[in-house]
Amino acid sequence: MELNGQLALTVLMGLFLVAVAAWLARVENWRSYTPLGSGGGGYGQESGYVSQEKPSGFIRWLTTVDHKDIGMLYGAFGVTAFLVGGAMVMLMRAELTVPEMTLISNQFYNSLMTSHGITMLFLFGTPIIAAFSNYFIPLVIGADDMAFPRINAIAFWLLPPAALLIWAGFFPVPDVIPAQTSWTMYTPLSAGVGQGNQANAGVDLMLLGLHLSGISATMGAINFIVTIFTERAEEVTWANLDIFSWTILTQSGLILFSFPLLGSALLMLLADRNLGTTFFAVDGGGPMLWQHLFWFFGHPEVYILVLPPMGLVSYILPRFSGRRLFGFKFVVYSTLAIGVLSFGVWAHHMFATGMDPRLRASFMAVSMAIAIPSAVKTFNWITTMWNGSIRLTAPMLFCIGFVSNFIVGGVTGVFLASIPVDLVLHDTYYVVGHFHYIVMGAIAFAGFAGLYYWYPIYTGRMYQRSLAKWHFWLWMIGSNVTFFAMILLGYGGMPRRYATYLPQFTDLHQVASIGAFIMTLGALIFLWNFVVSWYEGPVVRDGDPWDLKEDSLYTTEWEWFDRKLKTAVADGGEALPGGEESDAAEN
Amino acid sequence: MDENPGLSEQYRMASPWPLFVALGLPIAEIGILFDIPALSIGGLILFCGSVAGMVQEAGYARTPWRALAACAVLLFALGGLFFYADAQFGAEGIRFVARGWAIVVAGGVLLFGSVVGSLLVDEPEPV
Repeated sequence: MELNGQLALTVLMGLFLVAVAAWLARVENWRSYTPLGSGGGGYGQESGYVSQEKPSGFIRWLTTVDHKDIGMLYGAFGVTAFLVGGAMVMLMRAELTVPEMTLISNQFYNSLMTSHGITMLFLFGTPIIAAFSNYFIPLVIGADDMAFPRINAIAFWLLPPAALLIWAGFFPVPDVIPAQTSWTMYTPLSAGVGQGNQANAGVDLMLLGLHLSGISATMGAINFIVTIFTERAEEVTWANLDIFSWTILTQSGLILFSFPLLGSALLMLLADRNLGTTFFAVDGGGPMLWQHLFWFFGHPEVYILVLPPMGLVSYILPRFSGRRLFGFKFVVYSTLAIGVLSFGVWAHHMFATGMDPRLRASFMAVSMAIAIPSAVKTFNWITTMWNGSIRLTAPMLFCIGFVSNFIVGGVTGVFLASIPVDLVLHDTYYVVGHFHYIVMGAIAFAGFAGLYYWYPIYTGRMYQRSLAKWHFWLWMIGSNVTFFAMILLGYGGMPRRYATYLPQFTDLHQVASIGAFIMTLGALIFLWNFVVSWYEGPVVRDGDPWDLKEDSLYTTEWEWFDRKLKTAVADGGEALPGGEESDAAEN
Repeated sequence: MDENPGLSEQYRMASPWPLFVALGLPIAEIGILFDIPALSIGGLILFCGSVAGMVQEAGYARTPWRALAACAVLLFALGGLFFYADAQFGAEGIRFVARGWAIVVAGGVLLFGSVVGSLLVDEPEPV
């Protein structure tokens, strides 16, 4: 039986490899490519040049190395993962409307909680940032493409397998159960020792998936660092590099120093689980080693996720305030300062572990110090808006929502950084409320600001504005209802990560769930608007749909878009009566 | 800014290899971790083959055969590490040797491919 299984697998693998080889042999026939040399001038982006080079249909998306296509792939992947992670948490919030275990089992709750965290951080957060950076950084710095287009494609294509592995436990595979380690994967639970069921292969698959997503992030980071350093157009200097590129550059540096460490720690954990090593065993390196390694990655990860959204807000918010970003230099300096400081704060996640109080105090000091550059940014955003001519478009509303939620999330974080407060609030819902204000209230808000702001560029159409505002307000209200209730729950002493709770917490949990349902409604409206407008929204014929020129706030990516609109007529044989019609045909 | 924003004259806009590099890596990882030789060998061949193909496509080498041989050498070294681990720390129930053999076999297949390719396949005309 065992042998038959192996044999069947070998045959299947062989067939798969033969199929791949056959497909490659066929596809490589487009190798007719020859550089055009000086030719090709005057073609627009989607011109005959491209349609000769890119295969059509589905194959195009499987084989593309064009930064804009890869940005779109990242975006589609990120939005999909967001919906999956959102569905997971809605099951949890539904379960939490009553104190007892009713809708789902406690084990399933733990599985959902683990996957929700990992999905949102690694499969939504990082990829949605990569979507914007891939699409727009080469455009705004005047580069032809990313420095390493193929590595860019590899970095993206590692993500779907990573997602499948992370979610593997939920698929109907015999004997594989989902991981229930929570996203922090603390040992000894995650090492699979003891009485629990975490020795299961589902945990190994999740760890492998996470490892793959780390490889992907690292490849992307190297690519961005090299691209921003070496591929800038002549007129783009360090002095006038835009704020979004600065944050991506800093973020890439953080990824470069932290993700390989996560990868190594994950391999050590996998070796502990499968190969008999004792890195995190009590009689080996000890369980605390995991916490140090994990948070040495984990805290910079927070800034990996928040710096580029801060960049997006710094980039978009001034466009609708009618002014340039106030204190641009200081926003850049504070970005760099946060990048450096982020590596000196990891042990504030471990204040309650009984570590040396002198060490603890130093980590408290650095953690509090990081509030300074964060506040510099916040005040700069506010002063940018101050006395400006503010236009409350959907992207602007999301930016303002970002600032507002970031203040609540940031201030609650300052309290957590204080040892005595942390010892009381550690592992309560206060922590959950605090970081959801940041990851959902700020990071996701900025992501959606970007999705709305550049919607005309990547779809050629405009979304339905009133629906976008509905989306914003439902989210703004929903997130504050949910996460403020969590903060209150934390004050009351409700511990995090539990599927059941004492009856005294029922009301606040129900409030939190109502907020979550309000956000779900907003997300459904977003999805409807996003998809329907893509097909049926009004075609954008103006290269300046946000009227940025009036305030001299026009930027390079819109210039590129404008040229694309104007030259699109050159697309072979599409010249329809009326000329401008071909814009529509483009889409 | 140049006339073709975002449009490269040096790069192809499409390549079939990245997808398979990204597919080969997880297959090989799963195979080695769970000691499933079919996946280890297949995944490593897919991964290394695609890397070699990409090296050629990107113009770093005229043919993929040397890259294949280099991959084979690296895999032999990795397999050797597994044999060493078995000799040093061999523990009950942990099949280092079987994992090592799978890696070495994958290296062998790649080396064979490299030799056959360099002997039998005509070199492409320089473009």
